[in-house]
Amino acid sequence: MHLAKPTTSVGKTSRRRLVQRREALAGVIFVLPVVVLFFVFKLFPVFGGILISLGDFKITGAFEFLGLDNYRDMLTDRAFWNSFWVTVIFTVAVVPILMTVSITLAILVRRIAPFIKFFRAAYFIPSITSLVLAGAVFVWVFNAGGIVPSLAQLVGGDGRSWLGQPVLALAAIVFVAVWGRFGFDMLIVLARLQDLPRELDEAASIDGANGWQRFWFVTFPQLKPQLFFLVVIETTFSFQVFDVVFVMTGGGPSGSTNVLGMLLYEEAFRLFHFGYAAAIGVAMMILLVSLALIQRAVMNRGE
Amino acid sequence: MTTSSSVLDAGQILAEDREPKKARPAKLVAERDNLAPRGWAAVVQYTILVLAGIVSLFPFYAMLIMSLREPGVPLTFPDSLVPKDLTFQHYAQIWNTGKMPRWLMNTAIYSFVSVFFVLLFASMAGYGFAKKRFRGREVLFWMFIAMVMVPYHVTLIPQFMLISKMGGVNTYWGLILPTLVNVQATFLMRQFITSIPDELIEAAKVDGAGEARIFFTIIIPLCKPILATLGLFVFLWHWNDFLWPLVVAQHPDVQVLTTGVARMLQENAPLSSTLAGSAIALAPILIAYLFASRHFTEGAIMSGVKG
Repeated sequence: MHLAKPTTSVGKTSRRRLVQRREALAGVIFVLPVVVLFFVFKLFPVFGGILISLGDFKITGAFEFLGLDNYRDMLTDRAFWNSFWVTVIFTVAVVPILMTVSITLAILVRRIAPFIKFFRAAYFIPSITSLVLAGAVFVWVFNAGGIVPSLAQLVGGDGRSWLGQPVLALAAIVFVAVWGRFGFDMLIVLARLQDLPRELDEAASIDGANGWQRFWFVTFPQLKPQLFFLVVIETTFSFQVFDVVFVMTGGGPSGSTNVLGMLLYEEAFRLFHFGYAAAIGVAMMILLVSLALIQRAVMNRGE
Repeated sequence: MTTSSSVLDAGQILAEDREPKKARPAKLVAERDNLAPRGWAAVVQYTILVLAGIVSLFPFYAMLIMSLREPGVPLTFPDSLVPKDLTFQHYAQIWNTGKMPRWLMNTAIYSFVSVFFVLLFASMAGYGFAKKRFRGREVLFWMFIAMVMVPYHVTLIPQFMLISKMGGVNTYWGLILPTLVNVQATFLMRQFITSIPDELIEAAKVDGAGEARIFFTIIIPLCKPILATLGLFVFLWHWNDFLWPLVVAQHPDVQVLTTGVARMLQENAPLSSTLAGSAIALAPILIAYLFASRHFTEGAIMSGVKG
């Protein structure tokens, strides 16, 4: 850069350099707190996690290097595969339900003139609520004597707690997870819908398109970027689900809701198998990163 | 990419909300009528909306009523939801004999201290990344963005061991320190500060203002709106945070509301008491929402994540 301008006098060049250096120093000082914290509490732990997964901590605190033993154990562990499939089923259930519910509600909310603010607020409030705190109510909702088993009894159910039965417990967890997220997703979709020109929709309507056709051919294509964004973040969230499971079932009955996040927590902080738990964490990271790459590839092809 | 487009969305939503509705009333009504449902379709659509509204709000009603029922009343559906013989006994009991005040204080410390430092550090770094040139700037920023892909569970164990080695288990600083680096907040602040014209900063420099003065008297005041929204969301995230406090702050002295209520659930405390605890823990967030719902909505759209 300086070579390109040989005409500047020596004094001016060094002066400009001094200014640049001062600017650079100021920049470094401004980013320093975040960068130091980032290295210590984010970046270092990622490599730490990979390292820990290659060994085990003895009770004495000594680290024993085991190579890939933890990974071998993990891949032959039935509990791991159970958690893997529970997490996959949970994610595959939650994400499409969330998308369907939030798109439907956003479209309906947009069509009505009165009470639009009320409905928007009503749907949004669950998504700022801690699912741990709401969990206390939902445990009652799904337990014997609560709403859901009682209502199920009216249509021939046995009135037993849903949280004690494998498939129903997972369904309950899915319900609560959707309850806690749909308002946020709806808000994003609604924001986009309100940006779209109504003329297109009206023109299609005049041309005789019915509601479903108008949605599928006119509205949906214009929602794609937002929906892609939502699918990505909801997949990520669902894959790491923990709070709901912890308070509602603790992973039971007999492992039927024991998602990967729960398994990792139990292994690390109840059984103190840090090495093994770290291996589960690394597996989650590999799965999530590949999922993100696949989603990106699909998105790029779609455009 | 996503963040910049959602920031745009936020701007547009705001513009829409502020748009004077009276400017073209006739046309607006006509537009609405064209697409507004009629007849049976309207009945079905309103029914769906109302049902969804009931499902979202009902848990709060159930929580409130059942936490106010007299002790010993069997909490079975539907009798338990009838608002009769209400009493504040459970609230008084967990407040006076339980650890509730302690949990509330701990959560407040965790949230307020974290919000202050997250906002300070994120705006400092945002300014540095947006307006200063230094070696490694791009690489650093690239690493920040890559970090968003890493699931929290991977860093959880090493983070815990680190804090444990530093002697931070069951201390406030151990709970707070690792949460002070907020990648999304830094990203947003950089985004926002980039849009501040360089001329403002240059002019201040010509007037002889130092870096600190420029930052605190020019940058920060201009960032006020985004700081309010972002702060609210960081606050919400800390108030609701569960996994990290569960791991690092189990001692009753430093326990927060979420982990406290979860423990009540696990120890099979009377349901009404647990619900009273949840209600107390939720109240500040719901009250904040009533007063600042617009900031919440903007923040949700802007940050793109729940907290």
